[in-house]
Amino acid sequence: MKVREPFFWIIISCGAVIMAFILLPLIEMMTAPSLAMLMETIKDKDVVRSIWLSVYTAGSAALISFVLGTPLAYLLARTNFMGKRLVEGIVDLPIAIPHPVVGIAILSVAGKNHWLGQALSELGVRIMGSVAGIIVVLTFVGLPFYLNAVKNGFESISPRLEKVSRSLGAPMFSTFLRITFPLAWRSMLIGLIMCCARAISEFGAVVIVAYHPMIAPVMIYERFEAFGLKYSQPVAVWLVFISLILFLLLRILTVRKKQVA
Amino acid sequence: MKKVSMLTWTIIVLFSIGVICSATLALAEPRGKVTIFHAGSLSVPFEAMEKAFEAQYPQVDLQREAGGSTKCARKIADLKKPCDIMASADYTVIDKLLIPNYADWNIRFATNQLVLCYTNKSAYADKITKKNWYEILQRKGVIWGHSDPNLDPCGYRSLMVMQLAEKHYKKPGLYDKLLANRPKENIRPKSVELISLLQTGNMDYAWEYLSVAVQHDLKYIMLPDEINLGNYQYDDFYSQAVVQVTGEQPGTVMEMKGQSCTYGVTLIKGAPNREAAIAFLEYLLDPQGGLQILKEMGQPPFVPCRVPTENMKALVPAELQKLVEAKD
Repeated sequence: MKVREPFFWIIISCGAVIMAFILLPLIEMMTAPSLAMLMETIKDKDVVRSIWLSVYTAGSAALISFVLGTPLAYLLARTNFMGKRLVEGIVDLPIAIPHPVVGIAILSVAGKNHWLGQALSELGVRIMGSVAGIIVVLTFVGLPFYLNAVKNGFESISPRLEKVSRSLGAPMFSTFLRITFPLAWRSMLIGLIMCCARAISEFGAVVIVAYHPMIAPVMIYERFEAFGLKYSQPVAVWLVFISLILFLLLRILTVRKKQVA
Repeated sequence: MKKVSMLTWTIIVLFSIGVICSATLALAEPRGKVTIFHAGSLSVPFEAMEKAFEAQYPQVDLQREAGGSTKCARKIADLKKPCDIMASADYTVIDKLLIPNYADWNIRFATNQLVLCYTNKSAYADKITKKNWYEILQRKGVIWGHSDPNLDPCGYRSLMVMQLAEKHYKKPGLYDKLLANRPKENIRPKSVELISLLQTGNMDYAWEYLSVAVQHDLKYIMLPDEINLGNYQYDDFYSQAVVQVTGEQPGTVMEMKGQSCTYGVTLIKGAPNREAAIAFLEYLLDPQGGLQILKEMGQPPFVPCRVPTENMKALVPAELQKLVEAKD
């Protein structure tokens, strides 16, 4: 039998520590509420509404990131220009800002004291305490994750393929649609999942912009404060469970389509 | 000559004893970290007290966590978070959630009152007065809010003020009419969070404690004593205001009765650093110390501080006995 080097065991034990570090607290939390408690919680209309709102707003944030972010990711992957590093730094900025500060920053442009807020209120759009406000916040925090994933995806596709298409007379848009997109859509999907995952977990920024209507993390906080751990845990379990299923489904979809292709 | 040297020796000996004694005292001096959970509305005065206290006891590190008073109590009772001192904006929170399992006594040390805050840019900022505030709050387009009554005592107290206004101004139906102009979206978990909404122009008026208004340089309308929940002599009148808040579990409710805003503080049983915590309490309850700071910050203190009964006074640590009186 082959004798393993000590290095191998170091790698294995580090991995085991990390797995335990992530899984232990989560398993403890997931298994704390009783089944009856979980069933009772999911029958609560407020809980279902808040989880649905979470899924829906996080999904919207991912969609907005997809529409607005894909062109910028493409630009950053394909071109070099003055100040590119600066733009990349700005894209990463929302990751580094403390969450409550994000909420306050968004509120400060959405209020009457700012021209943008005034314009919005004349249009009848309200950011404070609205679904629109939640989506704005989630897009803000989720966008960098989408952009970076998709940028990496574009970078891994050889520009020569696009050049061949262009040289054969295909316009830029059609090249993107027929050459780049089919090769990059997987990274886009990963970007969407990352963005969604980041958005669905956001609490600090959202609670400042919108307490009501309640997304699930805000409800977990409210339940914890008003009723204690016992009643906030089941909501958390359901949120984790439903997110897990959604993300697994997306992953499975990706694998299948790839096999078909 | 011999006498002089005797005297010198005596002085030297006494001096050495003094040095040794103060050295041992210094060793026995409170040290280490003291964890304090306190109501959000105490953040500013407690920060000032922290500086003054730590200057006096450089070995002690006060670690403060501000939050809704109920949340603070939950952190102790449910999460079993280690904590030395808990100061609540509603002293009854300590009575209800911490005594007898997590605390023995509850000292009332300061008061506050409710005011209606606004800024220069608020709608009708130039029109609002002590007399017409409740008419302005009913106007369409005026955005006003309060904190969550289920999480923050300031929240249910705001509702109580409006109930009392209905009685005081003899305007039947006023309370419901006011709330009809306050969509749920205007509620925030903590009252302090409403300030950023005021300052960014997302909200016109917000219910706050006087202390918060003073500390954040906000404009505010002061209300008559009959409704501002600031004068304990009106406690009988205040008790007519009743607000339902969520009870022990979802779907249940309990009733909160109007009562003057009274801050309570307690030492948590099994406090990790009892000695230093008591030293801080001594400073907090001292009329020349913490109580003076509270006075400056718009939170009039009780001098001396109060416990409801002689029985409870007997449970208070000996070092604090001289700073409290039994008075209901």
